[in-house]
Amino acid sequence: MSTPTETAETAETERGERTTEREVRRSSNSFLGDVWVNFKRWNIKAVRNPFVLVTSLVQPIIFLILFTQVFGAVATNAINAGAGSISYETFLVPAIAIQVALAAAVTSGVGLVNDIEEDVFEKILVMPMNRGAVFAGKSAAEILRIVVQIAIILGLGVLLGAEIATGILGAIGIMLVGLLFSIWFLAYSNILAVLTKDQESTIIGANLLQFPLLFLSSAFLPLGSLPNWIRVVAAFNPVTYGVDGARALMLDQDVMTVLDVTAFTGIWNTLVPALLVLAVLDLAFGGIAVFLLTRATSSDAK
Amino acid sequence: MSRRTNGYRPDEAAGAEGTVGADEGALSIETAGLRLTYSDGTEAVRDVSLSVPEGEFFGFLGPNGAGKTTAIKVLATLLKPTDGSVFVNGFDAESEPRKIRESIGYMAQEIGVDEELTARENLQFACTAYGVPRSERAERIEGLLDLVDLAEVADQRSEGFSGGMQKRLDAATALVHRPPLVFLDEPTTGLDPKARTRLWEYFREINEEGTTIFLTTQYLEEADQLCERISVILDGEIVATGSPTELKQQVGGEILDIDVETDGNDGDTDGDADERSGDETEADPREQAAAVARDSDLFEDEATVERSEDGISVTSQRARSRGTDLLVALRDAGLTVTGFNVRAPTLDDVFLAITDGEAPETVQGDGLSGKDEAPEARTAPDGGQRR
Repeated sequence: MSTPTETAETAETERGERTTEREVRRSSNSFLGDVWVNFKRWNIKAVRNPFVLVTSLVQPIIFLILFTQVFGAVATNAINAGAGSISYETFLVPAIAIQVALAAAVTSGVGLVNDIEEDVFEKILVMPMNRGAVFAGKSAAEILRIVVQIAIILGLGVLLGAEIATGILGAIGIMLVGLLFSIWFLAYSNILAVLTKDQESTIIGANLLQFPLLFLSSAFLPLGSLPNWIRVVAAFNPVTYGVDGARALMLDQDVMTVLDVTAFTGIWNTLVPALLVLAVLDLAFGGIAVFLLTRATSSDAK
Repeated sequence: MSRRTNGYRPDEAAGAEGTVGADEGALSIETAGLRLTYSDGTEAVRDVSLSVPEGEFFGFLGPNGAGKTTAIKVLATLLKPTDGSVFVNGFDAESEPRKIRESIGYMAQEIGVDEELTARENLQFACTAYGVPRSERAERIEGLLDLVDLAEVADQRSEGFSGGMQKRLDAATALVHRPPLVFLDEPTTGLDPKARTRLWEYFREINEEGTTIFLTTQYLEEADQLCERISVILDGEIVATGSPTELKQQVGGEILDIDVETDGNDGDTDGDADERSGDETEADPREQAAAVARDSDLFEDEATVERSEDGISVTSQRARSRGTDLLVALRDAGLTVTGFNVRAPTLDDVFLAITDGEAPETVQGDGLSGKDEAPEARTAPDGGQRR
């Protein structure tokens, strides 16, 4: 029978001969492979749970219908301020697309909390996957869902009479703006998830911001027809840049009023600054989320 | 897959520790001075040094809160040790955690299956995550599903599975890459006896195929049944190590349980013999029996005599040979013996002997049944040195 070998010295000096490295025969994990398997997992989960997909669509759709019906007549005057003939449907659809991105991004953090609560998270941490890839795959699945939802909103908008002046290419462009916009809010909901590790707090924390962000922006009415203080707030509101970017594509016009950019031509005077602002925002929030996630998944004793 | 195919048992070579060759003495786990202090100051693990040879079925035994799970999480690279060295499968936990993750299976105390996925999808995910070669995946998944008896429900979502089924699926997902070392953290807690036995068979099977198993448990019966070697951890420190047989020998012999007739007036409703006050015990036949056993020279001062629920319990090397003499002595003292039994000590006896610092009183049931108060309730009057 073996004597309990509990002395550090013997273990130390004999390691060279006594422990053999044990490798398992395996095909190596690539970063992209790790991204892919997680992407697949979260897509299966999204399809299995259509409730999430549907609920994040319902509220924006209600907004789209109610706003056009209730405020349509009043708002059309404000939009066209003298000249032009843009329908409120056309004006509103880009905002609703951004609202969908906002509402759907909240579920990202909720998914993370679920994984933590169901102990799947820990199991993934002992798997030899790149942790960045784990989150990249999950986020990619959520972004894909957001893009699909924006497509649904655009289709619905067109059915209701909205016109996309830039055509199919513009529609794809709007989805890309929505994609770029969703990243910072996705990161934000993950930040909430890691900090609170609680479903309710994550949902409330993210939803709380949704309405102020939407209303204190260029989403529902042109900023020119809103009080001065809202115009000031809107200049610092990410939603303004997402909505303006999408709207420029929708109307084929330079619609941005918070920044006066004239360096480019036509809609690029809106798109370039809007996309730049969103990209910087994504990097900032993404960076914080990655930092917090790395800290939460590192093996330091907590 | 382990390259070992014969029934080699590394611990046979352990007598000559300084001279064993490269392969035969290979260790799966090696820690020295392992310490883990949580940021709130809790010293969950203090100075644990472990050596687990390849192929061993090793048990890590201790009550709730003793530090078992913390230790296993350190070994599985989920926690960084505050101090000390950790080598798993030859890889340094500090510099090569990913190498360790590739080469171990880890089954946490809590079930970690994705309930929205089917059993097969859970296994597919694990196969990809662990880099099982693509050409082998389908076959391996079928094999595992058969092994854990889930083939028939393979394409059902696991949210509908019973606890036992989920636990078996969890075990299967931890084994898709055929790791040479598997960590099992209280794998059978909360399972019914049938499901538990089935998992045991399964663990034995993979161990016989050469897999090293590191099992934590609070079920002494489980450790006794499965483990070749056991370390007992208490308050973050290892207090005993040995084979189940060796540990039982520490109890000091076999145990003779004798039941005596108590005229039915023993007020035994709460089942706790210790709560009786002094004046009543004088007339208690159990006390008389214990006195007879202590006063007799039958066991030559080498016995430990304890009062049990229905009589007395004598632990002695001579329990078997002198038992009949004690029965006669009891009859001569006017006591009626209603039952007797000589048994080998169980790990319960060992555990209580270690945790209380003295020989145990009566122990029944199949283990500590997961409750910390179990050893507490049986703590000897002198208090022992617990906490």
